[in-house]
Amino acid sequence: MARIGLENIIMSFGTNGKRSNVLEDINLQVNDGDFVSLIGPSGCGKSTLLDLVAGLNKPTHGRILIDGQEILGPGPDRGVVFQDYSLFPWMSALENVCFAIEHSHEKLSKAEALARAIRYLEVVGLSKFIHKYPSTLSGGMRQRLAIARMFAMDPGVFLMDEPFGALDSLNRVFMQDLLTHLWSRDEDRKTVLFVTHDVDEAILLSDKIVVMTPTPGRIKEIIDVPFPRPRKRHNLFSSQDYVILRSKLLARFSEDMQDDISRQENELITWSI
Amino acid sequence: MNVNVNEKNPDASNAITGIIRMLKVRLGPLQALTIGLLVALLLISVFVPDVPSQAVPDNSLFQGVIVALLVIFVLGLMLSEDSYQKKTDIFLILGIMLLAWEVLIGKFGLLDPFLFPAPGKVFAIYAKDYAVMYHGLISSFAILLTGYFLALVVAVPLALVIGWRKRAFDVAYPIAKAVSPIPPTVYLPYAIVLLPTFSSASVFVIFIGAFWPIFVGTVHGVFNLDQRLINSAKTLGLKEHVMLRKVVLPAALPSVFSGATIALILSFITLTVAEMIAATSGLGWYIEYQHQYANYDKVIAGMILMGASVVVVMWFFDRIQKHCLRWQNAGDNS
Repeated sequence: MARIGLENIIMSFGTNGKRSNVLEDINLQVNDGDFVSLIGPSGCGKSTLLDLVAGLNKPTHGRILIDGQEILGPGPDRGVVFQDYSLFPWMSALENVCFAIEHSHEKLSKAEALARAIRYLEVVGLSKFIHKYPSTLSGGMRQRLAIARMFAMDPGVFLMDEPFGALDSLNRVFMQDLLTHLWSRDEDRKTVLFVTHDVDEAILLSDKIVVMTPTPGRIKEIIDVPFPRPRKRHNLFSSQDYVILRSKLLARFSEDMQDDISRQENELITWSI
Repeated sequence: MNVNVNEKNPDASNAITGIIRMLKVRLGPLQALTIGLLVALLLISVFVPDVPSQAVPDNSLFQGVIVALLVIFVLGLMLSEDSYQKKTDIFLILGIMLLAWEVLIGKFGLLDPFLFPAPGKVFAIYAKDYAVMYHGLISSFAILLTGYFLALVVAVPLALVIGWRKRAFDVAYPIAKAVSPIPPTVYLPYAIVLLPTFSSASVFVIFIGAFWPIFVGTVHGVFNLDQRLINSAKTLGLKEHVMLRKVVLPAALPSVFSGATIALILSFITLTVAEMIAATSGLGWYIEYQHQYANYDKVIAGMILMGASVVVVMWFFDRIQKHCLRWQNAGDNS
């Protein structure tokens, strides 16, 4: 049985007169322990899809199953990291992690929750910053904190919505390695649904890549990423197979954007004349 | 002997060197000017006699106030470098105003001595009416704080729940907007008839006056919460009461405080007006009572005392606010 099951999802927004579909005919099975990336141009509804799985929204049609059970709303069985805004600004780093642990594992004592929070803050290299407020941390540190919080909550499913999208490239590299390291060291690996628009990031991290088309968002193709783990960035990026997969993905990615881009270019030319 | 103590106790000697280091006050021209101004004011007050119509037998309280201002200013510069410029500006303006008052009214007798008493005359009142003012202050603040805290305790939880539920918000917000601008003192005559004592009537009126700004501020804060923050909280699977207490309340706190600040200021105004209309004690009553007997020196003394107590209360309020919202501007300090 698949860990995450999406069955005939349709999502539309707007009032009755002017409804438009954001997602159409989404069918997807994610196996236990798989790292799956959702990739597509902006406006293809990939974040909307992630919100649906998180339980923040209900699909207009269709069902979302976790371990065969239809979800009713958000729950501690699914941990979410957003691009920003995952953390509570009025809580220190430690309080943020403790708070999440205490409310996802109510049986744990305060002391156990605290010890666990400190352990995970150490793992992501924030042990010197546990009493800092998020506003005093850099963007990269904030995302490390959000990831520490998610791992500390220990949900079965990780949902990540462009978690490294706002970081500079050096930080992004660091965060990608950190995430892979933490994820792959677990005996029973978590199931990850990862939204990104970065093709390299998707290949580096995922077992499968789901390519989506824009307006309305549909699944265009599901591509397997065959490279063995652990993946070394340097070896991977220079291998022939990688280059082939990357150009294939980019081609899929850009087919739908071609029209958009040429239209916009034409508009620009018209304007400049 | 002091030397011995220092040798035996390194902590004490550290503290002493620390104090000595602190004494090296950075004095710019403006700071020197402010100190010079206050010293000049002190000398004028001591050595130049007032015009006969403004003269009082004992000017020492006013001089004490000048000395106190000097000490506070110098200590303030010494103890911390924070808002160095602001402190100087405030004390400079204060010094200029006092000097003008003392010289123009006290020494030259420029204006009608009856309506415009000199500072020596006004400050001498504090020595005379000390007991009445003290009791007035206590009774005023007892009423003010009771009404204000009652409003806080009722308005904040109520507004949290109402702001959180769209349907309740849609009903409550227009009502709040319509009712909140009504000056709370209009309820006073009715409250006095209904409630047994003036104190309880005033507490009620202050409660009403403080309630609306706090309520509107909190509801507004809750309603305008960043949806992304709420979503993030929802993904933790929080129960509703945890959500309200641990997420919605702190997230709305900046708005709660802006409402609470307005409410506090409004409470001062409401209380003073209420006391002027109907009380038999309190600072507002004191000012109104002395005005009826045309004791303008006492009226001005009461006004200064009231202003000073408002400044003190607002300072504490500011401290509490800064502490509660320390996460907000924490980024600036590091």
